Amino acid sequence: MNHLRHVGKSVKRKDGPDKVTGRAMYCQDVKLPGMLTGRILRSPHPHAKIVSIDLGKAKALDGVKGVITVEDTKGIKHGFVETPRYPADQEVLARDRVVHVGEEIAAVAAIDEVTAQAALELIEIEYEILPPVFDPHKAMREGAPEIHPSHPKVAEKESYANIGGKTESGWGDVEQGFADSYYVREDRYESHLRTHGYLEPQVTVAQWESDKLNVWTSSMGAFNKRAKLAKVLDLPYSSVRVHKAYVGGAFGGKVDLYSHEYCAARLSMLTGRPVRFVASREEIFSAYRHGQPLVVEIKTGVKKDGTLVAQELRIINNSGAYRGSGVVVVFLAWGFTMAPYRVPNLKYEGYSVYTNYTVRAPQRGHGCPQVRFAIESQLDTIAEEIGVNPIDIRLRNARVADEELPNKDNTHEAGLQDCIKIAAEKTDLVAKYGRDRKSPPKDSSIRHGIGIGISAYMSGTLIYPNGSGVIIKMNDDGSAVVLTGAIDLGQGAETIITQIVAEELSLEMDDIKIVSSDTDTTPQDIGAWISGLTYVTGNAARQAATNARVKLLGVAAEQMNVTADDLYLDNKEIISQSNPDNRLSYQQVIAASVANHHGDTVIGEGFWRTMRDEPNHPSLATTKGRWTENYAYSAQTAEVEVDLDTGEAKLVKALTVHDCGFPINPGLVKGQIDGQVSMALGHAFMEEILTKDGYTLNTSWLDYRMPTIHNMAESEDADVITEQYEVGQSYRTKEVGEGLVSGILAAIANAIYDATGVRLHSTPFSPEKILKGLRELERQQKAAE
Amino acid sequence: MKQPLSLHINDEIHELNLAPNKTLLEVLREELDLTGTKEVCLLGSCGACTVLVDNRPMLSCATLAVACKDKKITTIEGVKDGNDLHPLQQSFVEKGAVQCGYCTPGMILSGKALLDENPNPTKAEAAEAIAGNLCRCTGYAQIIDAIVSAPEIADSKSTKTQHETLAGTLDSGPYLMPETGE
Ligand code: FES
Ligand code: FES
Repeated sequence: MNHLRHVGKSVKRKDGPDKVTGRAMYCQDVKLPGMLTGRILRSPHPHAKIVSIDLGKAKALDGVKGVITVEDTKGIKHGFVETPRYPADQEVLARDRVVHVGEEIAAVAAIDEVTAQAALELIEIEYEILPPVFDPHKAMREGAPEIHPSHPKVAEKESYANIGGKTESGWGDVEQGFADSYYVREDRYESHLRTHGYLEPQVTVAQWESDKLNVWTSSMGAFNKRAKLAKVLDLPYSSVRVHKAYVGGAFGGKVDLYSHEYCAARLSMLTGRPVRFVASREEIFSAYRHGQPLVVEIKTGVKKDGTLVAQELRIINNSGAYRGSGVVVVFLAWGFTMAPYRVPNLKYEGYSVYTNYTVRAPQRGHGCPQVRFAIESQLDTIAEEIGVNPIDIRLRNARVADEELPNKDNTHEAGLQDCIKIAAEKTDLVAKYGRDRKSPPKDSSIRHGIGIGISAYMSGTLIYPNGSGVIIKMNDDGSAVVLTGAIDLGQGAETIITQIVAEELSLEMDDIKIVSSDTDTTPQDIGAWISGLTYVTGNAARQAATNARVKLLGVAAEQMNVTADDLYLDNKEIISQSNPDNRLSYQQVIAASVANHHGDTVIGEGFWRTMRDEPNHPSLATTKGRWTENYAYSAQTAEVEVDLDTGEAKLVKALTVHDCGFPINPGLVKGQIDGQVSMALGHAFMEEILTKDGYTLNTSWLDYRMPTIHNMAESEDADVITEQYEVGQSYRTKEVGEGLVSGILAAIANAIYDATGVRLHSTPFSPEKILKGLRELERQQKAAE
Repeated sequence: MKQPLSLHINDEIHELNLAPNKTLLEVLREELDLTGTKEVCLLGSCGACTVLVDNRPMLSCATLAVACKDKKITTIEGVKDGNDLHPLQQSFVEKGAVQCGYCTPGMILSGKALLDENPNPTKAEAAEAIAGNLCRCTGYAQIIDAIVSAPEIADSKSTKTQHETLAGTLDSGPYLMPETGE
């Protein structure tokens, strides 16, 4: 009975047919009778006092049905994080002051787009310009313009200004560690601003019906959106229903509550008509949340053989004008530092700094690529300095199975060592490494290089709503309906949940219908933004199926005059092992249940929570408390070509070797990997949000280049130690949807070094930087001659 | 100043009364509720709004509806094989070429235009066909795979259909036992 029929197989997506026929309904496709168009008036200034707002002309315009400002709100603040230390810091519309370009000031609902736009232009606002600050280092200085003067001070004992959050952690004695080290070096790495690039714009449709708000909104978790919306609207959760809609990509950018969601709701309540907001691509580029560039200052000491002795990191995050997830990213950056390598002495400080930039959101990898780029780049530099190869130095420090981490997490089966070894073997990295630097090809300006980067990613943690429930309703013909709050962003949540239920109840995929992501009709779910959906909701689904199965078996045992442990399920039949002729169909068993068990129609329920004994998420300030149950480890290699004449570098081949636990659907895992490699390629070479004084300069895909088919590299992958999970652990799944944007970025940087000898300290890896590095090398060489 | 316009979309004639500045995309999505065609950048930069006009891929956000007069328009809703998925659609599902699905209708129409002209394209030809279509989710490899594998699926579909039809007729006769399978 131990062979698996559905899980572990690349079954086809459940939502495939809807998506290839155009039937799939996304928020943008929701059309309700009488629906109004909403538009938002945004700040043209990075920092200014609002002296007055005059809505008179806008309200008087024909076709305008509603106009709101902060005066029409209850003044309730919200934040990505809302804890006693980090209370909510943002109102849904600006009050008295704007603190970034694009900040929402007023919103209009009108009969059509043209009217709504015209109304915005009629709103008269008088501003008084205030001095802005954009550079986080300048913003930290005493005397810098204070962006949130009334906020509780986070780093009270320090003289810094504008600190939105701080994470401080460490162990051992770094000073002693550095003193004991054979080799110590300090470096600084910087990353840059990129956008998520989801194709579906941000869309919200809200419809108020007497005491109920119906909402369709681009999201990454309906329950989180409901909680935030209900809060700022001051409504009970039962009065807000976030409906299911497909999501056209998110990558972190659709988690937070956005002002337009509130405005849609409030304007619908005021006008009595449905209201729809669609953010234009220009708005998304210039006013919405992007990712989080980090400045990473890192000092590392090693023994002669490359064993890490001590590491000190100072990380500065420019969080923009509100806290957003800035305080989370400086916590996570610590986690992504300590999870892959053993560091006996560590000192970590991360600052999240308010500036007058647009607010920042989580972005696939949430700090991991930035940190791994720094650590892995420096590690290669150290390896070269002390004469150890890049593989040996990693194997020496990489965590092994069953290690207890400083936060009391456990690495469990951690396959990192295997990942590194297999990546090295498959690419022949040690032999290739340094080849073109040692003997540069004479007749070509093209240089080849190879590099490696590793990472570890958490698989779900505790943050609202903390747990997932799943309900399975057996239909009386033996088929089933699964109710889950899980949301499918494209990663395949609906498919894997169906696979799990099909497996556990011995049904076919087509026997199961899935109803998902609806806050009224499906159970609460953690959402698809905390890297734990497959693990947490997947296990809830398994439990629900088990619950239904146990009920079916109990009834069948009565009917068949055997004990339940003599029975097994096979394709909608329950069969006696001792006498296979003694069998009943699910239909018969369910009929018997209804007849003999007071009408029990057989409903299975299940729930799951990661780290069930932990009361809370870890402290963002001190990192104390457990972080996650499962770490997904990976090693990624990049093979690049660099043209010395132009400085142009390109990724030719990527290899991802990962330990994602048991892959419920290897095809979907592969899809996640390829998508991440392509996103990292954009990160490395192409994508950059350019800003000046708080304004975004490139506000379309014509000026912000995202990878097309012509930029793609070959992407291969391999999973390790899968067989360890196959025995009885088929639901021990780990994260695979975001961590893999990280090691590959570092690998590309290391490969560029390998090809050229140019060590890049900032992303993106542009031709200008590479050429500059090459010229510097030439100069050094000449000086040496 | 609205003016009458008749558009031939997915084998149906639609008699419309339109402002002349309406794009084909606006007409499809707003007037006709054909929301399978996606609206993403409105700037001709993403390919998500691709439809076929006289069998050629066109960006519907950058095409005026009036310019399509007397032309044959195919949107994703019109791509099918009887009541079944078109082989290319099936290939997209089978090859894992769909994630969030927002680029999918545009990709399928770009792919279909290629396959209609060139039934057995190479990977490079497939890549050329979707060069103007952005996908943020997949990394494109599976999409290319789906396009070049579609002919195979079409072949197997046509064999299957023949077989099924045959079995269907025979099945209805009283003398044929249902297949027992080995
Ligand atoms: S919406 Fe037409 S090209 Fe992007
Ligand atoms: S599948 Fe999401 S953009 Fe292509």
